[in-house]
Parts: sequence; structure tokens; C-alpha cells
Amino acid sequence: MMDIFFDLSARSVRLNFLRSLLASIGIVIGVVAISSMGMLGTNMQLSVSSQLSSGVNTVILTSDVVKLSSTSPNSTANNGIDESTLNEIKSAAGQNQVITIHHTSDQFTVGTTNGRGSIYGLDPNDINKFLNVSEGKNLQGGNDALVGATIASNFNIVPGSSIKIGQNCATIVRPVVRVTGILAARGFTSDNVNTDNAIVVSDDWYTDHFDDKNVYDQVNVILQDINTINQTEAFINAKVNRNSDVVRVSDASSRLTTITSTLGTITTFIMAIGGISLVVAAVSIFNVMMMSVKERVQEIGILLSIGTEKGEVRRMFLYEALILGLIGAGVGGLMSFIIGYTVVNAMIGSTAYFFLPASLIFIPYGMIIGVVVCVGSGMYPAWMASNMDPIDALRSE
Amino acid sequence: MSETPLIRLDDVSKVYHLESGDFTALDHVSLDIMENEFVAIMGPSGSGKSTIMNQLGILDVPTTGKLLIDGRDVARLSSLERTHMRRDIIGYIFQKFYLIPLLTAYENVEYPLILKYKHRDTSGRATAMLEAVGLDKAMSAHRPNQLSGGQQQRVAIARALVNDPKILLCDEPTGNLDSKTGLQIMQILVDLHKKGKTVIIVTHDPRIGEYAHRIIKLADGRVVES
Repeated sequence: MMDIFFDLSARSVRLNFLRSLLASIGIVIGVVAISSMGMLGTNMQLSVSSQLSSGVNTVILTSDVVKLSSTSPNSTANNGIDESTLNEIKSAAGQNQVITIHHTSDQFTVGTTNGRGSIYGLDPNDINKFLNVSEGKNLQGGNDALVGATIASNFNIVPGSSIKIGQNCATIVRPVVRVTGILAARGFTSDNVNTDNAIVVSDDWYTDHFDDKNVYDQVNVILQDINTINQTEAFINAKVNRNSDVVRVSDASSRLTTITSTLGTITTFIMAIGGISLVVAAVSIFNVMMMSVKERVQEIGILLSIGTEKGEVRRMFLYEALILGLIGAGVGGLMSFIIGYTVVNAMIGSTAYFFLPASLIFIPYGMIIGVVVCVGSGMYPAWMASNMDPIDALRSE
Repeated sequence: MSETPLIRLDDVSKVYHLESGDFTALDHVSLDIMENEFVAIMGPSGSGKSTIMNQLGILDVPTTGKLLIDGRDVARLSSLERTHMRRDIIGYIFQKFYLIPLLTAYENVEYPLILKYKHRDTSGRATAMLEAVGLDKAMSAHRPNQLSGGQQQRVAIARALVNDPKILLCDEPTGNLDSKTGLQIMQILVDLHKKGKTVIIVTHDPRIGEYAHRIIKLADGRVVES
């Protein structure tokens, strides 16, 4: 049978339905904000982790020193991995595949449309070791090129299209590459080769046009066995960085950890911003509870004068806050599911991870926080009600 | 009748500390009320009637002196013990009825039973009390605002009696009723006294005082006649 104090609280909420409803809406908004942001962040983390894990067996090597050009000391800094260092890396890498990568960013023109993107120079024989051509065929050399999925889509590029590389200038004849194939979308990858918004050309073409002969921007070592990652990194460090730091060695898994950790921090931050709405809701609930106490002073006086314990009066008002919290959290939980699904779908483009426990757990989290905030907001009004002087309370009109 | 008084006020004073200065509402009052007495406390406004009722109802404690109710020194009790005494020993009937507006007539009467036994009434005692004060079953489902003044006071009497208290404190019980209904209510109180209850009525109406076997008159916080 229902507790009479809960019954009294429920009747009070029903009696002041509109006021209670408005107070609960604050909790609904707070729960939705926290849950949806939590789910969005988690889905983002899971999605990024999934994308990055495709290249997790890669050790990434970039230059750790800046070399100034010997012919022009005042020219721009030129950093990269030279041939001798590359040979040491190959020696340290053993049977694992070593991919050399040239990389810059430049303007280009497709037809009459100008754009900007990354330019990768790769050995044509290395391309199919870690990239997939989804349409057309791999480049053979010369002025052949592959383009990433995003550029192809944005500029309506198909195999056979021509692209002028470099800044659009009437007085300069720009080099032209001919597209032989479109690369499959890779997303944000952990091997630091992000080709979706890039044009991939042969290393010979690249060095002919960007004057980067025998100096590589990045070297990737693709491991045959991922369990040897620490060992391989140690070999490379011992061989290449034995006297001083020549290359910076990183692996995809540590990058993955860093990225997911950063995303986790961002998620917590966004949830905290969502939590501000719960603070506003808490003030609203506090106000409603104070009004409820003020309106029921004489009733409180009656209760106390006929033998109701202070704890029972306190319980009655906490029940009222609990009811508001449960209504707000219940509706908020349901709306979090719907809004969270919509937001995740809109911002990530996939709901593949939405139904995982790691994602859905934010709904009960948000609901619990909403109820706790509500009951917390009702504590002072409940305490105030229970400590009233029954004589003064009875006299009030 | 027991030799020991049910209520003893021994040199009780109540002083209120106001901004304008101290106000003595009860000034060295001493009196005994025995079990099964029917007492009327009378006096003009400001004589200390309400203050003495608050003391007898254990809603307040004396500033000085000793108040013993059912053999217990009220001032020495904890807040919780005083609450339990109000619940178990005293039945309070107010001029303005003071029913709980959110509860039905039946639930108002059932409420003290829930306070005492911590569960809903399954004994039928609440229904029996309502019938005893002349309210039928149909009325018991009504909220206080759906009842007449006389009906509300009957519900208040049933609520006051449901835990079988030793003392029935009535603060101007007919003050908000027409004379016919007032007589009916007084007849209920007379019957309850005959059944062994100690009835204490505060009133300024001499016609109500005539029902009592003993009249205590107050003036300026002092007992002038007992």
C-alpha cells in the first residue's frame, strides 16, 4: 500500500500540475543535454577508434631535426628524412615493409574550379600495400594520379579527368596530372596518410615538381606482426637515434590512445556544459519546492500539531522533489534516446555504435543525475518545512 | 478516578521575548486537572487562553515552572518524544477544524493511525470513528472543501479520537459553527466525557462553559478562578 506521505506529495504535484510540469521540463532539458552529449562523444570515440584501428600495425617516422638549405641559409626550413637515415630505418625494420612518403599541400584546378588539398608522392609499387583504388586503376608513373574520395566527389573527378597542380597564375604554365583512379574513402587514419582530400602522384613526379629529391617527409613501417611493435620501435631508435634524435618514432596505437583520450576529455567538457542546464533546473526545482512549502505552511502546522514527526514532514517534501525528478528523468531519458540517435546520426553519419552499452549507458547516467539534482534541490525546503514552529505555522493564513 | 492529576501546572510562566520588550502570557500559573474532568478555560482576549492550550497540547514548553502531563515533565522531553505524546495522548480539536486539504474525510481520520502504527488502517477503526460522530460512508470520500462546517468539525473530532487519547483539547470547537450544529458538537463532547475522556475546552462563550463541570478563569495570564 502506498506511503501516505508519498500519496500527499503526489496529490500536491497533481494539484499544482502546470507549475510542476514547468519545473520538470528543466530536468528534462538537463537530462537530454547530458545524455545526448555523452552518447555523441562516445559514438565519436568509438567511430574514430574503429577508423584508426585499420592502420594500427604501422610505425610512423618523421624527421625530428630541421635542416636549413646549404645554398640559401635564409630560405624556408627543410626538414625530412634523408637517404642515409632511410637505409638505417630499412635495416632496423628487418622484414617489415618500409613505405616512403612525400607530402605537401598545394592549390589545384579541375576545369575552371580551383581547390586546395594534400599532395602525396608515393612509390607506385607501395600504393596497393595500404591504399585501395575503388574506381579506375592504380597509377603507373609519369603524370598519372589518384585522387581521394572527397576530392573526387566535390570536384566531379572521374578516371580520365585532368588536374592542374599549383597556384592559378596566368604567367606560369602549370603541370597537369591525369587521373587514373579514385581511392576508397579512408576517413581519419592512424598511419598519418589521409588521402580523402588528397591527390596521390608517383614519387618521381613529385620530386620533379616539388624539388624534394631523396628527402622524405614521412616513412611508415608496416609490421607483419603487431606484437613486435615495441621491439621494432626500439630497434629503430637504437639504430637511427643512437647519437641524437634524428627521427621521431610514433605508432598508431599510441596516437589512437592520445586521440581517444582527447575525445574523452572533450566529451566530458561538453557534458559539463550540458550540466549547466541541470544547474538552472535545480534552481527552478528549488523555487517550486520553496513555493510549495510557503503555500502549505498551515498544512505543515496541522501535520506537526497532530503528531507528525519532523522526519515524516521532511520525507513528504523530498518525495515531492523525487516525483518531479522521476517525471523529468523519465521523459528526459526517452527524449535522450530519440534526440541522441538523431544527433549521432546527423553529426557522425552512422549509428553503428549507438546501441552499444557504452553509448546507451549515458541515458541512465543522465537520469540518475537528474533525479539526484532534483532531490538535492528539495533538501533545504524540506528541512525548512520540518523545522517550522507548529504554533506559528497554524496561525498563518 | 486516579489520585494523581493527569495534568499538573506547577508555577508555570510563559514569557515571549518581543522587540517591544518581554511579554508574560502566563504568569505563575499552578493548577491540576484530574482524569475524566470536563474543564472549560475561559477569559477575555489576551488572558492567556491560547498560550495555556499550546502548553497543554505540548506545542510549546514553559519558560519557567513545571508542566507534567500523564506524569511526564514536558520540558525534559526531546522534540521527538513530545511529538509522540501529541500523537498518542492528546486529541486536538480546533476552531478552524484544520483538516488536511489534500486528504479525504476518511483519510484525515485514518492519518493519526498511520502516524502511530506506520501502516494503513485495516482494523476499520477510522470508519467506525466517522460513524460514531454521525458521518456516513458517502461523506467519508469527500475532501474537506466539499463538507459543511459541522461535517468538517465532526471529521476533526473523529480524527482527534481515533488514537484513543486520554485528553481531548478543544479550542473554541463551536466558534465557526451555527448554534444548532454547535449544540450537536457539544453533545458529542459531553458523550465522550461520559465515556471517560478528559475534556478541556477553551472558550469565551459562557453557554459553552455551562457544559463543563469546572471552569478555570484567566485574566492577564493569571488564574483568577478555578
